[in-house]
Amino acid sequence: MKGFLINNKFLFCIYFLFLLPIVLYSQNYIDQQNLFSPESRLKFGSYLYSEEDYLRASVEFREYLKYVDNDTVRFKFATCFYKIGRFQEAADNFKGLFTSRNLQQESKLAYYKSVFFQKNYSLFRISFNNEFHIPWDYKDEIKRLYYISFFFDNSVLPDTNNFFSSFPDSNKSVIKQFYFRKKFPEYKNPTTAALLSGLIPGLGKIYVGEITDGFTSLLVTGVLTFLAIDNFKHNHNFRGWLFAGLGAYFYGGNIYGSAAAAQIFNAGVKFNFDSDVRLYFEKRNYLLPEIKL
Amino acid sequence: MKKKFLIILFYLVAVSNYAQPDNLSIQLDYATNLYNNNQFFDAITEYKRLIFFDLSKKSHFKAYFQIGKCYKAGAKLDDAIKYFALAEMNSNTDDERLKSKIEIVRCNILRKTTTRAHQLLDGLESSAFSKEIRDSIYYWRGWTYMFEDKWQSASDSFAKINPYHELKILCDRVEKDKVSVTFATVISYILPGAGQIYTGNYLSGLLSLGWNIVSAYLTIKSFNADRVFDGFAILTLLWQRFYRGNIQNAEQFALEKNIGIANNTLIYLQNQFKGIKP
Repeated sequence: MKGFLINNKFLFCIYFLFLLPIVLYSQNYIDQQNLFSPESRLKFGSYLYSEEDYLRASVEFREYLKYVDNDTVRFKFATCFYKIGRFQEAADNFKGLFTSRNLQQESKLAYYKSVFFQKNYSLFRISFNNEFHIPWDYKDEIKRLYYISFFFDNSVLPDTNNFFSSFPDSNKSVIKQFYFRKKFPEYKNPTTAALLSGLIPGLGKIYVGEITDGFTSLLVTGVLTFLAIDNFKHNHNFRGWLFAGLGAYFYGGNIYGSAAAAQIFNAGVKFNFDSDVRLYFEKRNYLLPEIKL
Repeated sequence: MKKKFLIILFYLVAVSNYAQPDNLSIQLDYATNLYNNNQFFDAITEYKRLIFFDLSKKSHFKAYFQIGKCYKAGAKLDDAIKYFALAEMNSNTDDERLKSKIEIVRCNILRKTTTRAHQLLDGLESSAFSKEIRDSIYYWRGWTYMFEDKWQSASDSFAKINPYHELKILCDRVEKDKVSVTFATVISYILPGAGQIYTGNYLSGLLSLGWNIVSAYLTIKSFNADRVFDGFAILTLLWQRFYRGNIQNAEQFALEKNIGIANNTLIYLQNQFKGIKP
């Protein structure tokens, strides 16, 4: 018994001298873990990713991937580039996952999305038409994206039957509107506007829709012409020439202004169409599914 | 005896190991070193890493505060305010809380959300008991007024710290140098060109006067010669245009001069003023 107590005293001493500091410094044990180990980098990278700090998350994932090959992390790494608008790097990294067992379809979809948002529509269409790594699980989504791409550049619009049938019924009426606005834009001809203003000052502006400007042009040119004629009649030659010069200047300006107004009108039509389309699809995430890992 | 000696030796070794600076302290130093070397992006990353791994939250105030400073240095003032607010939430002392609040005020001054800066200063003022804190509040309120182009109010605020405060004298000088926009406009109504001459644009003033005299002469001459249409045409197209233009010009010159004076002062403050700046 005595021996047991002695031994226990010894064990208590060991406990207080060695184990107690370990308990007290347990926080330090956590601290002592390497903040730059692959595991720590993955944890920290995932935290940054969830906080939407994608640029920093990509750095952490890159360091982690130097030591461990993990498809989910590689997908997240590529997604970081996609999220910060570095679509070329995103596409390149998604390409590397085409052979992945679990994320093959998702990475192919993400690749097509990256190419689309990179505005490389020609590559997108070539890839789609040649069935280059089409994600069969998301074929409808890619097909829709293929047709949407025609709204954003000057390529010839495809046939209406295939075009409209790719979209769900809820969107069809708006898509039809966009299609016909793109195919038959309500442009004004600058030459017609200039010729009309040459015939009757201000008429070109009225043709473009700037009615007040048109009447102002007509009034100013008319008044100046009248003043010029009136002054010449009363032998005030200097003032006659002055008003004639001003009248000619306003007449020329009215013709040039009408042509310019038509061009501005056309630019407005294109701008409004582009922003309407972009706004519509952005609001609906381009009718694409949200992939969560 | 030998056993006791060994136990003490082991104990000292064990405790001395724990007493080594921990990784979080090293990380804090590393991040601060990056900040000191103006590597703000990397510094933010390392401060964020520190926050993520510091479960005890001991260094959260410092890290959030420093992230705020990094964003501020990169002129990302919205982000800076967010992190200073987080620093305030993680502050442990009144001093740390005040420090964070003042930084938020300074960011609001820089991004010209001066109404918010005033609101924050009002909040601080109601609970400020020491002279040092009150002076700090007057100081930053003075800066807020300067950014609002209210130099007299700024002068009054700096005077509360010290009637001969360097910035008070500067504000008084700006107020003295500025011209009156109303006066420039009114004298242009009475004598065309006078407003421009008052603001120091002598050539423009004389030209304006000349154009008005010529167009008035032509108008009166036409009416005297019973050419009523000519008279009206010259009156509306020429004289009225120059008379109206003269008034607008005088107002514009006065405004531009005042903006120039204020901008020169702010440039001086930015480049040459040695005191604390927002």
